[in-house]
Amino acid sequence: MEILAQLIVSGIALGMIYALIAFGYQLTFATSSTLNFGQGEALMLGALVGLTLVGHMSYWLMMPLVLVFGALQGIFVERVGVLPALKTKSEFGWIMTTISLAIIFKNVAENIWGHDDLTFPSPLPTEPLQFFGIRVLPMEIMVVVGAVAIMLAVELFNRKSIYGKAVVATSNDRDAAGLMGINTSVVITFSYALSSMTAAFAGVLVAPLTLTGSTMGVVLGLKAFSVAIIGGLNSGMGVIVGGLILGIAETTTGYYISTGYKDVPGLLLLLLVLAIKPAGMFGKSVIKKV
Amino acid sequence: MSVVKKVSIVLAIAVAALLPTVWPNPYYIHLMVVIGIYAILLLGLDIVVGYVGEVSLGHAALFGIGAYTAGVLNFQLGVPFLLAVPASIVVTALFGLILALPALRVNGPYLAMVTLAFGTIIQILINEMTFLTNGPLGLSVRKPIFFGHQTTGTDYYYIVLIALVLTLFVVQRILKSHFGRAFEALHDSPIASDCMGVSVYAYKVYAFVLSAGIAGLAGGLFTYSEEYISPNTYNFELTILFLLAVIMGGRKTRSGPILGAIIIVMLPNVLSDIDLFRQISTGIAVFTVAYSVYAVSTGQRTLKQLALPLLATLALAVSGYVMDNITEQRLTIFGAMILFVVYYLPNGIMGFLRSLVVKFRPQWVHRHVAILEHGDMQHVWSVPDHPVTAKGYLLEARNIVMQFGGLKALNEVNLEIAKGSVHGLIGPNGSGKSTTMNVLTGIYKPTSGEIEFNGKVITGATPSSIAGEGIARTFQNVQLFGEMTAIENVLVGLHHTYRHSLIDVVFQTPRCCKEKDAAEVRAASLLQFVGLAGLANEEARNLPYGKQRLLEVARALALNPSLLLLDEPAAGLTAPDIKELIVMINKIRGHGITVILIEHHMDVVMSICDTVTVLDFGQKIAEGTPANVQSDIKVIEAYLGGSANAA
Repeated sequence: MEILAQLIVSGIALGMIYALIAFGYQLTFATSSTLNFGQGEALMLGALVGLTLVGHMSYWLMMPLVLVFGALQGIFVERVGVLPALKTKSEFGWIMTTISLAIIFKNVAENIWGHDDLTFPSPLPTEPLQFFGIRVLPMEIMVVVGAVAIMLAVELFNRKSIYGKAVVATSNDRDAAGLMGINTSVVITFSYALSSMTAAFAGVLVAPLTLTGSTMGVVLGLKAFSVAIIGGLNSGMGVIVGGLILGIAETTTGYYISTGYKDVPGLLLLLLVLAIKPAGMFGKSVIKKV
Repeated sequence: MSVVKKVSIVLAIAVAALLPTVWPNPYYIHLMVVIGIYAILLLGLDIVVGYVGEVSLGHAALFGIGAYTAGVLNFQLGVPFLLAVPASIVVTALFGLILALPALRVNGPYLAMVTLAFGTIIQILINEMTFLTNGPLGLSVRKPIFFGHQTTGTDYYYIVLIALVLTLFVVQRILKSHFGRAFEALHDSPIASDCMGVSVYAYKVYAFVLSAGIAGLAGGLFTYSEEYISPNTYNFELTILFLLAVIMGGRKTRSGPILGAIIIVMLPNVLSDIDLFRQISTGIAVFTVAYSVYAVSTGQRTLKQLALPLLATLALAVSGYVMDNITEQRLTIFGAMILFVVYYLPNGIMGFLRSLVVKFRPQWVHRHVAILEHGDMQHVWSVPDHPVTAKGYLLEARNIVMQFGGLKALNEVNLEIAKGSVHGLIGPNGSGKSTTMNVLTGIYKPTSGEIEFNGKVITGATPSSIAGEGIARTFQNVQLFGEMTAIENVLVGLHHTYRHSLIDVVFQTPRCCKEKDAAEVRAASLLQFVGLAGLANEEARNLPYGKQRLLEVARALALNPSLLLLDEPAAGLTAPDIKELIVMINKIRGHGITVILIEHHMDVVMSICDTVTVLDFGQKIAEGTPANVQSDIKVIEAYLGGSANAA
């Protein structure tokens, strides 16, 4: 029983990271019906830039700089990869361009930071805390708190500020928002900046817990895909629940079956959800008007 | 097929057959074998990417499944080549089916996301399931033995060449058949193809499974070519290369995949040889500069448009001289190539060459196979697939509610359509007429209520199965397959008359040819009926608006409906055309087809309708003969506003 509880706790921290990346997918999907297939690479770049910066400053000072870097990276992806494809209304276009940008980023990172995994110094004590016999790393708590905090911040921004209203309006109906004088192209760029920023943030959160390197993003980005589909591409609640389900499914599979198979339940869940409720567990299916 | 084309295909095969004698070097022969195998896979991938317009990021994994099926069968059980390779096709197609069934249920980037995840999982599974696959150590097999003869590398080249030629013919035949037409139709207008009884979901799944089967064939051949397989071959990089090959070679062509295969097999060799890379990149840079100078000086492009590719190619050339080793940068180069192709070469190299030919020799290029059948009046009509057996009304809608959020677009609407009548549906804008159409044809699922058609409850059925039951429609905002010719549009409507299978198509059985000829005569006759006989081979998007509407009527009639829904057929028609339309609708009714007509031209409605239903704000406010409805106070209020008494 204690082992199971321990596995669940570890799964929660992992799941929140997935949720945070999936949240980034949702941000851009809402405004432009596109998503960045290089979201994992945005996370990886955030973590590696953070690692380089942390050699010169404290973890807490590094954080805002990484956020700025993430935002700029998102803007770059949107301008180079997504905007031209949106103009030609080509789904194939943006999928291919974001993938190709992703492999370019990965390759560049390999050439700058090398092929080997690096260790990211933890800003918090690495001694686990004990709660009723369950060991929790302080960093794991920070992951959960940080992930929830940034998602709440974005939600608040969307609901309370006038700029947020523009984002929501664009999500609802891009054409109508454009006719009301909202510069939807800027809103879409902004959503990419925000999306990559959350990914970079997720990167520096998860980096002290795992190994940091150019390949770290691929698997994380992929898992977050599953989470986004399982939870629903348009449901904020969905990604959190989806993330937790997947995180816990993985830690338990890893322990009870084999660590080799720990990535398998994600795909099975994904196919299952698509087969039963394609809009995701919490997603609303949209009626397409003719 | 023209004689020139036939001769050039035979010549190309002959040249390919002679190549091993020209280059007897085993290394070159092996490269050519790999090109052939990749070309097979790419021909299949193009069905998904080019024709259906979905992105698959799982074809490297499907290729791996094919390779491991043959490998495991041969290594563990000693199954011979001639059984192992077909097994690869079947097993891979099954995996394709398991992926496609859930992933293609929804529109959007789901297939790309699911196949990406699938690719990773398959690699993990191959690594982990050591009892079958021998894990990371890989499997060794020998090239096949036929009649005691151990095949050599050159023998195997011929085996792959035969497989490639066969795949080419099979794929070509399928894509030219009604299956291929269905793939193009669903890509062009998914809603229209669903309403023509061509289920978008089913045909997307078909396309993916077909493509997976072909990938399996390629995988099986690959195992015997390499004689050793290990999990790491089938990674994400290979998937990217496959996609690069398809789009760079040229989508929706047979030559494109072959060219693409040559490019991606040669590319790693080019990148590993720095001198060769320098020469090629310098060559490309010189070409781009020359083209830019030409394009800017003749005013075809502005310098601003060309700045990015110009800089990129120059940077590529310079980087070749700065770096000693380019292999480490290969992913960046692949990525840049994809970006370049997506933005500047969207139709690939073959598409680019084709556009050049069109520019200088337009008569050489035929985008469509012209169908020169002549229609006649006796082939216009045919009996419905499901004869009308209902005792009472043909269609009964009971208490239909259609709610969008808080808005009730239809509120407790009842509708009874008598057999053989023309039933008008009128009402001010936004009263729910088109919503009714969409509910009746299954595009919207009503929030509550029940629809009975021809004695069968059809509420909640898919649009394609409702179309199959015999309800055909036209659209208020025209939904033609724009890139197809007029007659091809009608042939999509006749899709249900093609009952032969994929096997018939591959072998071009007499049954297949008979059905094809019959459908073409029928399509030409229908075009003649609506007065478009002269425009049969014109692309639908080039027709004037009024003619497009008439084409929609012909396409809908092709479904052999017992109920035809016409959504504002007279919009955009001139006064004489409207007169012809009235004659046409009367003829349609004369052949026992019941018609529901939405129309704003009141003279049309009043002159041909037997019954008229009036909707306002989602509610039925009046029903009766045209004369009665015309004098109904509520109707006058709805149309003119205010209270009729006050006026």
